[in-house]
Order: sequence, then structure tokens, then C-alpha cells
Amino acid sequence: MRRRVFCIFALAAAGVVVAQRLPVTYERLLHADQEPGNWLMYSGGYNSWRYSRLDQINTGNVKKLKAQWLFQGRSPEKFETTPLVVDGVMYLTRPENDVFALDAATGRVLWAYNYRNPVSTYNCCGKVNRGLAILGNRLYMNTLDMHLIALDAKSGRELWKTAIYDYTLDGGYAATGAPLAVKDKIIVGMAGGEHPGSGFLDAYDAVTGKRVWRFHTVPQPGEANFGTWAGDSWKTGGVATWNNGSYDPETNTVFWGTSNPWPDYNADARKGDNLYSCSVLALDLDTGKLKWFFQFTPQDTHDWDATQIPVLLSGEVRGQKRNLMAWPARNGFYYLLDRDTGKFILAKSFVRQTWAKGFDDNGKPQVIAGNEPTVEGIDTVFPGVDGGANWMSHSYSPLTRLLYVFARDERRVFTKNSVRHLNDGEVSELNTASRPGATLQPAPANTGIFGAGGNLPAGPNPNRANPRPARFAPEESWGKVVAIDPLSGETKWEHKVISPPWGGVMSTAGNLVFGGTTEGMIFALDARTGERLWHFSANERVYASPISFLANGKQYVSLAVGDVLMTFGLE
Amino acid sequence: MAFGNSNRIRPRSVRRSLSLAACAAFFTPVLLTQPPGPSSFDTPESREQGRSLFQTHCAYCHGARGEGGRGVDLTTGVYRHGGSDAELYATIRNGIPGTEMPTVRATNDEVWKMVSFVKSIGAGGVVESAPGDRVAGKAVYDGKGKCAACHSIGAEGGILGPNLAGVGRRRNLAYLRESLVTPEADVPVLYRAIQVMPKTGPPVRGIRLNEDDLSIQLRDSQNNLRSFFKEELKEIRRDKPSLMPAYGDVLNAQELENLVAYLSSLRETL
Ligand code: HEC
Ligand code: HEC
Repeated sequence: MRRRVFCIFALAAAGVVVAQRLPVTYERLLHADQEPGNWLMYSGGYNSWRYSRLDQINTGNVKKLKAQWLFQGRSPEKFETTPLVVDGVMYLTRPENDVFALDAATGRVLWAYNYRNPVSTYNCCGKVNRGLAILGNRLYMNTLDMHLIALDAKSGRELWKTAIYDYTLDGGYAATGAPLAVKDKIIVGMAGGEHPGSGFLDAYDAVTGKRVWRFHTVPQPGEANFGTWAGDSWKTGGVATWNNGSYDPETNTVFWGTSNPWPDYNADARKGDNLYSCSVLALDLDTGKLKWFFQFTPQDTHDWDATQIPVLLSGEVRGQKRNLMAWPARNGFYYLLDRDTGKFILAKSFVRQTWAKGFDDNGKPQVIAGNEPTVEGIDTVFPGVDGGANWMSHSYSPLTRLLYVFARDERRVFTKNSVRHLNDGEVSELNTASRPGATLQPAPANTGIFGAGGNLPAGPNPNRANPRPARFAPEESWGKVVAIDPLSGETKWEHKVISPPWGGVMSTAGNLVFGGTTEGMIFALDARTGERLWHFSANERVYASPISFLANGKQYVSLAVGDVLMTFGLE
Repeated sequence: MAFGNSNRIRPRSVRRSLSLAACAAFFTPVLLTQPPGPSSFDTPESREQGRSLFQTHCAYCHGARGEGGRGVDLTTGVYRHGGSDAELYATIRNGIPGTEMPTVRATNDEVWKMVSFVKSIGAGGVVESAPGDRVAGKAVYDGKGKCAACHSIGAEGGILGPNLAGVGRRRNLAYLRESLVTPEADVPVLYRAIQVMPKTGPPVRGIRLNEDDLSIQLRDSQNNLRSFFKEELKEIRRDKPSLMPAYGDVLNAQELENLVAYLSSLRETL
């Protein structure tokens, strides 16, 4: 209750401030929760709660929520952006790598920055971008051709551009996630786990753009944990870092999830645990040195990336107050870890799953046989290729003390191909946009194709016996918002929707959970019960997570739908 | 650009025609520095053919003379997407993904002809030799002129005025001189100064960024991004379209000539 009083006070104060208060210092980022009118980083704060302390919109009045303005993205790509809001100015990315500053009260454009990628970039899953980071007066964006770009937030002028890596190597790399700005560094992940490359997580100097450290997600010869890949398979092991991470200022630790090992659905040539694939990494911010890691899915063959966003919280476990990490994983289990040590505390499934009987004390799964991808295709495995959770944001509300997960409760077809290398000039299936009608671009010579199987449309797979589409009917595969008690892993309530989602959720101090479905129904649920209190039929796919902010003292909620960013407010 | 400026088209000052004349006169030396492929289209005949192709494919957005409208003004010589032959070719050939700028149904040769026409209206590529001393001009720029308070060259400097990187390539000497002495003569669309008078509170002067019937957005003189609902304003004044001070009285003739020489030497788009 005390908190809520503070909130209302903050709103009144914010209404008076007309001009923008740049710079956004590290202090401000550290205490992002003290500025509920702003949305200063991808997940709202370093603990990645995606929770808004605003409560003007609440369970009592949410029925009066109306669309206020739209931003027309005019891009055929999936619109995965999370905008930032700083004192009445919204900054967002639009695919491929364009940046806009908007007046947050009207959606009118203040400036635009256009970045031109080469025609061919190498993306498994669309030419997407998930957003920006801000620090000082600078905005930071990752690009599809593997650059980190710094823009002046006031003018949109490009300040510098740093090459992260050669995007054409090893079948292709891209950078699609939002960077994370911490202290004096910009943490940058990469995509490309569907190609025979080698993953890393980078830190760049926020002022100069010079690289400060690089952590290899596949241990190199001489490094700890080298040798968990048979033969030379570590050289092409993949293990990307394509989403966003979290930060614990108390221990100066960055937490970041890693993707699948390559080739995705075929482990014949990569026996072993394949570290650090499908893991969470705890790295020292200053040096990039590994403090601990936890692997959710050893020797993954289902593309069950662990690129979810680490949710950091504290609580009592078996009578002891502990610093915790809550992790609803793509493999269908919710995990609770000790965030200081990486020790496993518990795991409980939050969607149907067929592959693990349980866990040993260290959190290693006891795997059930018969769930492996096959040449003909196996369709009895839960969760499916896209997992129980994926990259979409979860949300934690300190009011209800519940973790909200927009989960995919489904099965699909898992197929296994032989690994094959493309010949010069040959076309790779997956280096372009996933939208229908997209033209395929030639891949560089001698590169491997996506994942050696999986759930792909008919492609160069001579073994495929079962070309039928892999989606199942609504009566057997669906989506749901699940409210999990993070300390026990128990599900408190579920709110079912017709299709597995690609959007994330945000909870608010108004006791609401916002999100959007694959069909484009935008909703607000009662955070305590899961009851749907409000909806809007936007009728286009949602591939993003919502935010909330103030403009002129009034609360808004924004979410990207189709190629439009929709913004709602009370009448 | 995503924001409109449709109601803006104004008669240009005399120097536009001066600059075109200069352009024609000085085009030949520039050709030598162009890559061999495109240069073969940089002939008066190609440019003429480019002009009529432009009428067919481009004028309905960019205006008959490229002055802008639904598409951007192509006569400023400022190219967000690059002003080299290869970049212009790529822009026109492929369009600009995610904007209204489409790909064009034309052969590669025809595209090159349009490139040469677009360049000719963009006042680009003019090589004139400035009489002043550019080193002394740089000292005026950094010192007495305080130009960096509002202008950047590349990433360094102010943002109230246009980035001057490459200004010597896109503007001729007469234009540069006039920019210093009578800045109001030709104000680029993206730098129109306005003053909004709120019903309560002090007036705010700045560069107009965007506007519709309900609201107006500007960058104020402290570089803050601002937005106002029109119902909260008494008045919007547009009578002083440039924020650039006139330097005719501040600098003497020699200093002005030196400054022009310096500006003219800024040929790289950073
Ligand atoms: C449907 C309207 C439309 C048509 C037709 C069109 N353009 Fe454009 N053009 C635009 C818009 C809008 C932009 C600005 C895109 C942006 O950067 O946001 C643009 C940008 C450009 C640019 C880039 C300017 C810069 O700053 O880099 C060039 C050059 C250009 N157009 C030339 C042409 C030519 C030549 C044609 C004819 C072949 C043409 N355009 C046809 C709308 C159009
Ligand atoms: C108070 C801010 C301010 C200062 C100081 C200033 N300018 Fe400007 N300048 C502007 C603005 C705004 C424009 C755009 C409007 C216009 O063209 O009049 C501009 C335009 C120009 C242009 C035309 C650019 C183009 O691409 O057309 C030139 C050249 C220029 N300034 C040079 C200078 C020089 C040299 C100085 C120092 C002697 C200087 N300016 C000082 C604000 C300023």
C-alpha cells in the first residue's frame, strides 16, 4: 500500500515535467523502478520483471481502456520490438534496423534513423530486431549484419558503428536482440545457432564502442569444460546468445541464456553434454569471467534453447532467505536456481512434457527414451519445437508474488536429417525472412543448413517421409498464461488461449497482466485470478511483449501487433 | 523521412539556378573520379533521358523537378542513403525497404540514367576553387564563429543545424556564402525554425520536427525533444524560418571568404 501512494505522487510530479531529462545515467538504470513513468531497458529493470509500478489503469477501470495512437511500422517483417520510454519520448526499432523517436503522447515521429543492411543477411527466423538500450545520451542497437550502433538520442545521429563479427562466416551470424547497458558497458548477444558457427557474448565500451571482453559460449581448447563435445564438433557447436539478459548489482554479475547446440536435431556427431549450450551463464560484468553456469538441457536435440530472460528475485527457500533466479525453460520445466551459486533448487513442468521423469540433485534431467527426433518424424513429443517457453518475456509481480509465463502447450513433429553442407551458390532454406513469398538468398559457400531436421517446411531433406504440416488442432495444442508461485513452482492459475503464443506478458501495479495472442487479441487479465477483464481485437500476429509508461502524467500500455505499435490509455 | 512536410514547397532563391549552371559547367572534371561503369551514363544525353524516365517513375512522389512531396526533396544534395553513384544506384534499383520508396520497373541502364539525372539536380559533385584560406577558415569555425555549437562535422558538435560533413560537395560556393550572410534564403525542410506560444508559460523556439492538426513537435534550443497539443497553444510563429544567425555583421569579408573555403573543403559524408 505504501508503494502505491508513492506511485501516485510520482505521477503527479511527472506530469509537470515537459522536457526530456537526458542523460539516462547508470544510476537511473540501477533504480529504474523509481521511475515508473519510464521504460528504460528491454525488461524494465535489471531484475527483468517486466513489471510496471503504474496503477492508473487497474482492475477497476481497465474496461475503459481504448486505443490512443498507432505507429505504422510499414514493414512486412515480424515486429518484435520492446520500445523504451524516457520522459515522454519513445524510442523503438522497426525491422530491419530502423530507429524512431516518437512523442509518447501522440505517436508523432520526432526523428528517424535508417540503417541499410546488405541484401543478404543470415537469419533463421526473420529479419527481426527486439529493441534498443539507452545509456547517457546514447541509444544502442544491434544489426542483422553484426554491428553495434550508437545513436545520439536527441537527434538520431549515428555516433559510431562497431563490427561485432563477420556476419557471412560459418553459414551466417546476426544480432537481433536488444543490447543491455550496464555501468559503462554494452552487453551484446548474437544469433546464428542454426548454423555451424561458434557463439559468444560480448561487452563493449559504451563511450568508444571498443570491445572489452568476449565470452565463448563453447569452451575453447585450454579453457574449463572443454571436452564436452565429441571429436571436433565443438568447432561448429553454435550456442548463440540471441536474447537479452539480466544483471545483479550486488554481485556485479550478468546473467544470460544460451541457445541450442548445432546441428540442432542430430547429436550423432556431438556426443557429450555440449557445454554451455541450453544453459544460463553467470559472468563477471567487468571481466566476462564465468562465475557459474547451469545447463537445463544437456546434449539437446529438440532446439530447446535456454534464451529465456533470467528473472531475478529473492525469497525464502526451506527456511532460508536466498537470492534466486526463476526460469521457465523452453524444455517445459520451470526451474528455481540459487542465483549466487547456480545451485539447482527445484524444477516443475508448466506445460505437458514427455521427455524427463525427474531430476537429480544437481538438476540434471532423467531422460525418458523414445523422444528423440527420427528420420520419419516423431509427433508424440511434448513440448514442441518452439518449446514450452521461448524468447517472449515472462513477468514477475511483487504485489501478487507470482511469475507470469505465456506458455506454449503443444506437440509438433521432430525430424532428424543428416548434416549436410551447401555447395557454392546453393540456396539455404533459412537465411531469409520466414514470411511467405520471401525470396531466398544464396548462402555463402560451404555452410550448413538449419539444424539438420526439426519442424521445417519441405526442404532439401531426401529422407522426409512425412511432409505434413506440423501444427496440431486447437483441442490438443494451445497457449496459456500461467501464474506460477516462483518459490514452490506450483501453478496458481492458468488462462488458456487458442494458439501457442509468440508474445510476452507484462504485469502492473494495477493488478493486471497484459499480453497479446497469435490471432491479435490483446488482453488484460486479473493478476490474482487470471480472469480476462479487457480485450481488443487487433487481428494480427503478436510477436512482442508489452510495456507501460506515462506521457503528460497519463498511463499508457504499448504492444507491437502485426506491423503496428498500438498504444492504449484510459478515455 | 517518416514525417510530412507537404505544405512546405516554396519558391527557391536565385542561387538554385546559379548552382545548376555551376553544376553543368563543372561536371566534366568530376566524371574522371567516378567508377567506370556508371560514368558512361553521366552524359548530357543520358541525363536528359534520365529526366524523362524520372517523370514517368518518380515525379509523382518526388515532384517534377525532384523538389519533394510524398517523396523526399532530391534537390538538397543530402542523401541519407548515400550519395555515391553506387549508393544512388542501389537506392533507386532496390528502393528503400520499409519506406514508401519502391523498387523501379526499369532496366539497369535506365536506372543509371536516372542516377545521373538525380545527381544533376542534387547540386552534387561541384568542384570550384575557393579563393579564401581554408586553414584560417577552420580557425573562424572553431573560434569566433562558434559554429560547432549548432553544427557537427560527422559525430562531433551540435545538432541544431544540419551536419556539415560533405557540405562542400553538395553546395556550391555561392550557396555557402549566402548560407552565412542570409541564412533565411533557403532553409532545408528538416531545419525550419518555429516558435510556439503556449497559453500558459514562456514561448519555445526550435526546429520543427513534425506536425499534424492536433500537435506539433520540435527540438528546442537546448536540443530537447518537445511536443505540444495545439489546443494548448495561443499561436505558432513561422516568420523566422532559420535559427542560424546571419554572420555578415559578425565576420569581416576576409573571414567569410576563409570560412567558405573551409566549408567547401568538407567533402566527405561521414
Ligand atoms: C511512392 C513514392 C515514391 C516513388 C514512386 C519514388 N520514391 Fe524515392 N523516395 C520516396 C520516399 C518516401 C523516400 C524516403 C525514404 C526514407 O528514407 O524514409 C525516397 C527516397 C529516395 C531517395 C533517397 C534519398 C536519400 O536521402 O538518400 C532517392 C535517391 C530516391 N528516392 C529517388 C527516387 C527515384 C529516382 C525514383 C524513381 C525511379 C523514386 N525515388 C520513386 C518515395 C518515392
Ligand atoms: C544558433 C545555431 C547556429 C549557429 C551558431 C550556426 N548555425 Fe549554421 N545553421 C543553423 C541552422 C538551424 C541551419 C539550417 C537553416 C538554414 O539553412 O538557415 C544552418 C545552416 C547552415 C548552413 C547551410 C547548410 C546546408 O546544408 O544547406 C551552413 C553552410 C552553415 N549553417 C554554416 C554555419 C557556420 C560556418 C557557422 C559559424 C560561423 C554557423 N553555421 C553557425 C544553425 C546555426
